[in-house]
Amino acid sequence: MALPSHILRALEGIVGPGGLVVSPEGLLTYECDMHTFYKGAPDAVTLPQSAGQVAEIVRLCRHEHVPIVPRGSGTGLIGGAMAPVGGVMVSMTRMNRILELDWENRCATVEPGLINLWLSQATRERGYFFAPDPSSQMVSSIGGNASTNAGGPHCLKYGITVNHVLGLEVVTGAGELVRLGGKTHERPGYDLTGVMVGAEGTLGLVTSVTVRLTHVPEGVKTILASFSTIEDASETVSAIIRAGIIPAALEMLDEVVIRAIEEGIGAGYPKGAGAVLLIELDGPVAEIEAQSGPIEAICREHLALEIRVAKSEAERALLWKGRKEAAGVFGRLTPNWLLQDAVVPRSKLPAIMRELQDIGARHRVVIANVFHAGDGNLHPLICYDDRVPGELERAKQANDDLLHACLRLGGSVTGEHGVGLDKSQSLPLQFAPADLNFMARLRRVFDPDSIMNPGKLLPSHPACGEGFRPAARPLPAGTWI
Amino acid sequence: MAVSAPALHDALADIAGREHVLREPAALAAHAIDAMRPAAVVCPANAEEVGRVLALCAAERLAVVVRGRGSSLALGNPPRRLDVVLELSRLAAVRDYVPEDMVATVEAGVTLGALAAHLAPQRQMLALDPPNGDGRSVGGVLATNASGPLRFRYGTGRDLLLGARFVQADGALTWGGARVVKSVTGYDVPKLLVGSLGTLGVIVEATLRLHPQPPATRSWWLGFPTHDRARAFLAALLDSPLQPDRAALIDAGGLRRAGLPADPFAFLLSIGSVAEAVADQGQALERLALAHGGRSQGLAESAWTTLGQVLNGPILLRLACEPRRLLERMAGAQAMAGRLGVEAAVVAQPGHGVAWIALSGSPAPAQVVREVTQLRRALEPEGGSLVLERAPSGLKAEAEAWGDINPEILRIMKRLKSEFDPGDLLAPGRFVGRL
Repeated sequence: MALPSHILRALEGIVGPGGLVVSPEGLLTYECDMHTFYKGAPDAVTLPQSAGQVAEIVRLCRHEHVPIVPRGSGTGLIGGAMAPVGGVMVSMTRMNRILELDWENRCATVEPGLINLWLSQATRERGYFFAPDPSSQMVSSIGGNASTNAGGPHCLKYGITVNHVLGLEVVTGAGELVRLGGKTHERPGYDLTGVMVGAEGTLGLVTSVTVRLTHVPEGVKTILASFSTIEDASETVSAIIRAGIIPAALEMLDEVVIRAIEEGIGAGYPKGAGAVLLIELDGPVAEIEAQSGPIEAICREHLALEIRVAKSEAERALLWKGRKEAAGVFGRLTPNWLLQDAVVPRSKLPAIMRELQDIGARHRVVIANVFHAGDGNLHPLICYDDRVPGELERAKQANDDLLHACLRLGGSVTGEHGVGLDKSQSLPLQFAPADLNFMARLRRVFDPDSIMNPGKLLPSHPACGEGFRPAARPLPAGTWI
Repeated sequence: MAVSAPALHDALADIAGREHVLREPAALAAHAIDAMRPAAVVCPANAEEVGRVLALCAAERLAVVVRGRGSSLALGNPPRRLDVVLELSRLAAVRDYVPEDMVATVEAGVTLGALAAHLAPQRQMLALDPPNGDGRSVGGVLATNASGPLRFRYGTGRDLLLGARFVQADGALTWGGARVVKSVTGYDVPKLLVGSLGTLGVIVEATLRLHPQPPATRSWWLGFPTHDRARAFLAALLDSPLQPDRAALIDAGGLRRAGLPADPFAFLLSIGSVAEAVADQGQALERLALAHGGRSQGLAESAWTTLGQVLNGPILLRLACEPRRLLERMAGAQAMAGRLGVEAAVVAQPGHGVAWIALSGSPAPAQVVREVTQLRRALEPEGGSLVLERAPSGLKAEAEAWGDINPEILRIMKRLKSEFDPGDLLAPGRFVGRL
């Protein structure tokens, strides 16, 4: 649907001509996030420069019953920052400043468009960093990280984004511009900050984020252990956790991925290994030295082919480069893929890896794995070629089987990527109607007119698969829509 | 109340069994909330019974206050009305515990002490140690967002609650969150429940993130002669790579009550790690204290449990400020006690800007109200707060237990409350803004 000219004029009045994109070719840039499967261009993109402008946009859209879709860097993997039913996209790329580095309170306040890594770069000299490290951290924004409650390899030790967010300034779907939380670590009342983090822009738009800064550890030790089978690697992960050691990161890569990385960027991973574990310890030097011995022993007990300890910062960076840029080499593996983000309880890792191999064989698809093994967060990459008839269907069946297998083991649909459009229909697999009803009502409290990021996060939103109807329907307890 | 007391007792007995419904005057008096007596106390056996009790209360429009083990009922404003006290002490089972997952699912009435005993053989723990915590229930600790010295390393219930089964005001049994350590599926409903004092729903089961017990632990007392030196030491500690797992900062009043050397300020710190790192960091810690004009000595493990006794007494305030201002706020608390003519003991969570102020004696209520109001005004610009965590009912009614909060934010909280408790039956009037 094209927006009426009076709305476009009003938007231009708010953000200025330089802050409004309406040309078809300009809008094309915004039609999807990194999950290119889902496409939907907005009718207009606004690039506000202040919270006040964001609030005006929300109030206008609310008045006009126009859907709003927030967007950070567009690096999400869930069909989140795209507009399935059109509407106004609010891109935060021009709100990308560090507003304050408060060393005494060890926190920073930043605009939502700030790139994650920039904050760590700005604080490292003083001995601090921003702990959440999604693999996209070189390009993803902190507002996006907060909205999806992003994880990353090191959240095994440091926790996910919500554990680091002290406060937010938001514009709710009802048009209120409010500051939630802040530099003080607790306040009376409901934890609205905690609810807003991970809400994927369905409750409001984040206009600034106050985050905790973490002191850099005294030492870091990165160990690479290779195994002939993925089962041995999985058992090793369970054994490390069972021994009471929580490394800073504990990542697994399988044979398919190792080969692609070596052919692509050459990170020095042993070719021909069935699986590689990337284990990082950080903290007081005496602690990591004392823990690395038992970890190496556990690896050997589980028949590690090779154990390599990074001897220099350069070598460490190279080992991580392969992991962090793994997604970039997927193109070498397959023309198309489906990416899962399901979670299983840690103890079920060996079981799910066995099941995964069965599923791949059953549906005749290659499944590649590079994932956060330490917290059971899988990222199976189901490869297919959409030029070959039937491959997509087989990939989808494998995907469904996999999701069900994870849930049967007591897991979760998504560990860190979020729900978006991609997984919104999967929520009923994990939640009962009463649970979904509670969430739908929570959404209504913040977004009474159902204009915020329609179609995302919850199933069967009025906007999903049909014309957008912004009318607020009554939502009785005991049902969900 | 729409039904007669005998009819209510019968209806509750139908749900929980006659022996689990208290109706005798003495029992009701013992379960009074801020001197307000309920018409009945019911102790259901499981989540389903809790659901039926709340459905009954919703149908009959009865006001309910939840009670775990009864240790923190002083928190909150006096209820606007009260018909039923819903006690969860019989929900005391550890439902599911897989040590390899480091996750446990427990019923809300399980005490922290019982849970610790259950986890100890596997050398795991729930990293929550609020004062007098052993006897407190998991549900109560979460609903009041109580924490202790372990917060320094592990955070609060907000960081440890992965999933929760709860009963809504209409009796609907509901689940939010996940049973695994990492999940972003749907809204983070557990965050909404932590600290909500049972005003949006009743937590009946919690799925919790656990941590390994460190293989070795040692504790230190580090005393400082002035608040400037203590402040400089704290800044240096936070800017160092040292990683204490527990931390408390106590003033002389608190140290005297704890029976510890009463320097003007002292930190209690513990290092939990492998033995080599404990020794190594311990030395560094002592050196750092010395360099900032402090002195150090070893601390017995038992000293940590005395913090609860330090904070006993008729009036307990909980102050939150910008972390950098903690020391001056602690000094301010002593000045306030001086003006009130009473003694104060202050125990703080360094690095978090949170402090408990325990006042002894019986200061004039009007004067306390004046001091509380003034301090709240001073804290407001930095987003700080002063909560009456424990105080005589009259004082709470006068001073408001939570203090004022931003009207725009309160408006959102009111919408939440009326969405999930439209009949205003869950602890009416107890929460912020008399929600």
